[in-house]
This record gives sequence, structure tokens and C-alpha cells, in this order.
Amino acid sequence: MKKYVVTALVVMLWACDTKKEPSKDDFKEELDEMAESPVEISDENIINILNSVPSPLEISFIIHDAGIVYDKTLLNSENNVSKYTSNNKKAINLGVYGTDLGYTDIYEQNQHGLLYLGVIKELADDLGIGQFFDFQLIRDLTEKSKNIDSLLLVTNENFNKINNHFQEQNRSSLSSMLLFGGWVESLHLTCQVTMQHMDSDELVERIGEQKIILENMMILMDVYGSQDTFIRGLADKLKDLQKAYEGVEITYTYEESTSKIVDGVLVIQNNSSSNVNITPEKVKEIAALTAQLRKEITG
Amino acid sequence: MKNIFFALVLIVLIPQSSNAQCNPEEFTNQCIPILADGYNFLKGYKIDGRGGEKTKVEYSYVFTKGTQYMINICSPEETPGIVINLFDSKRNRVATSSMEGQILKAIQFPCNATGIYYISYTFEGSQLYCGGSALGFSK
Repeated sequence: MKKYVVTALVVMLWACDTKKEPSKDDFKEELDEMAESPVEISDENIINILNSVPSPLEISFIIHDAGIVYDKTLLNSENNVSKYTSNNKKAINLGVYGTDLGYTDIYEQNQHGLLYLGVIKELADDLGIGQFFDFQLIRDLTEKSKNIDSLLLVTNENFNKINNHFQEQNRSSLSSMLLFGGWVESLHLTCQVTMQHMDSDELVERIGEQKIILENMMILMDVYGSQDTFIRGLADKLKDLQKAYEGVEITYTYEESTSKIVDGVLVIQNNSSSNVNITPEKVKEIAALTAQLRKEITG
Repeated sequence: MKNIFFALVLIVLIPQSSNAQCNPEEFTNQCIPILADGYNFLKGYKIDGRGGEKTKVEYSYVFTKGTQYMINICSPEETPGIVINLFDSKRNRVATSSMEGQILKAIQFPCNATGIYYISYTFEGSQLYCGGSALGFSK
């Protein structure tokens, strides 16, 4: 069972103590104590969080569809693979290279895709999960770039199998590392292209929205950081990013949806909306912190 | 006595064997290639209601604003008997595949607000409580 800090229980207990009128100092003391007292979070909830992390492919499509030119220099060099000796570093960079592979696939950069496929194979074999990656099929599909949809499908399926395998084998911390690496790389990519296209509201908004995923990442890092000093170090660095994101405001307005049936599919007319309030300075701060974090995990 | 014994054996074994027949992975794999054209596969979801023990099976995923999502259902039954319900992070229902007495096999959802969404599968008239589902996206 994993541990995570929550505050509600102590707040309730504090509120129920009617013997004396609590002072502000008493309340602060209670809050400080709460921060130190871990409360359990179920394995099921952890697995749910792990499985809710969005695929980095979605961000790569957004970058591609925004008309931004392919740039290999933004990606992690395949030559760095020999630096990754611990399982944590291998899993994180498997995620990083997975994002890079998706990016090269979407831009149909086959030769670069094959390079990334090679390092992914190396890391997957080292982690004992090579059997979940159909390298020959992916290689064939990469060489025939017309099969881009099939290529993305097989690659994504393979990464899902790896994730499931880690979870089934009680190696969920590696699953979290894989997802963390993929997410950091996709945030880094988004930040770097946005710095050159600050006029793109869509990209700026996507950066702001990562606050939602960051919150989940923090939970995972806190959970696994209690058992692993390397992950604890990452959690501390992630806190700097979390602090930067405190200045990002996301508002959401719910409106009931309407729907109609089209060719046997229920097509929803979604009437809810959201808005992200983020300044250009904040984008630059987040980009710098993400670059620092990314350097830490890929270096 | 023998008959009672066999009856008891059947009572104990039948529910287990019907549940054992549920192979949600098979139906998830069926669902992936039939996502509509233009959609890229994201996740496959297993739906195993354990022969009726569970009333719903739920997953979550962070949807991104400006992206269209499609969720479909595959089941061994001719009419699926499995309803897809989609809830936002505040648990407001934003979509359901049950409409005007029909249960649709797929829903298309244009996301206007990035956030965690809960994909909940419930059983309505299902006999097997078993199926699979795939989530895809399109820009």
C-alpha cells in the first residue's frame, strides 16, 4: 500500500475539538503536523493515475498540425543511450525516446525514426521487456512511411503493453518513470517550439494545461519517492516546476452537452469550455525549468 | 443424493465458468482496428463485470482541448448491453451512449476543456457483462 499526504482527516478532527477555542497558531501547528503524516492511497488509484497520463503523441500532432517545421536538434540524442545504466534512468529515457520516436513518425522522418527504434530496443532489452516490442514490424512500417497510422498504432500498443507488464509485475515505479520521461520530453518539445511561436495561442494554452498532468505526476513522484532516493530527487526538482505553475490559472465552465446519432455513432456537441490564463513570462519560466529537468534526466 | 450433489456442483460452477468465458482483451483487440478513419489509437480498456458482480467498470484519461475523441465498444453479444458514460473532472456527465432507448456502439466527443475525464462502462440488459473498448483521438 502506498502513502500520500492528505489533510482532510486532521482538519475534521481539529474542527471537532470543541474543548477550547483554537488559535491561529494551533491551526498552523496542526497543518504542519498533517504535512508530515502520510495517509494511504490505494494501489488501484495509483494504477488509475498511471493510466490517465495522456499519450505524448497527442502533443506531437498538435505541434505538427500547427505547421511547425521538424527539428531533430530538439530531441534527445540517440548517442546518449550508453549513459543510462540504472533501471530508473533506462525507464525514463525509454519514455523520452518513445516521445521522440512518435515525433519523428508523425513528421515521417524514417531514418531518424530507425535510430530511435534502435535505442528503444536496447533499453527495452536491458529492462527485460523487449518481448513486448515488435521491432521487426515497427521497422518494416517505418521503412514504408505510407503506413503512418499503422506505425503509430503498433508503437502505441507496444508501449501500452510495456506499461501493463510493469504494473502486473509490481514494477509500477518503472511504469511511472516511463510515463514521466515521455511527459517531460513532450513538455520540453512543446516549450521549445512555443518559445519560437509565442503567437500560437493553442501551444501556449497546451503548456498551461500541463498543470493538470503535473499534479498527477507529483502524486506519483511522492508515492514512489518514499521508496526510492532517485525518484525523491526528481520529486524535489518537480516541485520547482509546480511552484512556477502556481501562477497559471485554469477556469472551467460546465454546460450540458447535446448529441445526435450520425451513421450509428453518437456525436456529442460539447458545450463546456475552459480558459487558461498564462503570461509569456510564465511560459519562459516553465520552459527554462523544464529544460533543466530534462537535462537532468537525459544527461 | 447424487442429483443434489450434481445440482450443487452446477450452481457453484456455472457462474464461474460464465465469468471464465469473459476474455475482455479479445474484445479490446477487436475494437482497436474499427476505430473510425482518421482516429489514432490511444488506449484499450477491458470491461469485465465478473458475471454481474460489478455494476460498472471505470477508467480515467486526461483529454486535451481541441482534440476529438472516439470511444467504441465491442462485445460478444449482438446488442452490447454496455453503456459508455463520460464524466468530467467534477463528475458532470458530458456524454452517454444510451439515447432514446438505443445503446450506441461508439461515441465521438470533441473536447473543449483539458482535464481528467472518467470513462465509465455500465451494464444495461447485458447477459455476459463482458466486452472491450478502445479510445482514439483525431486532431
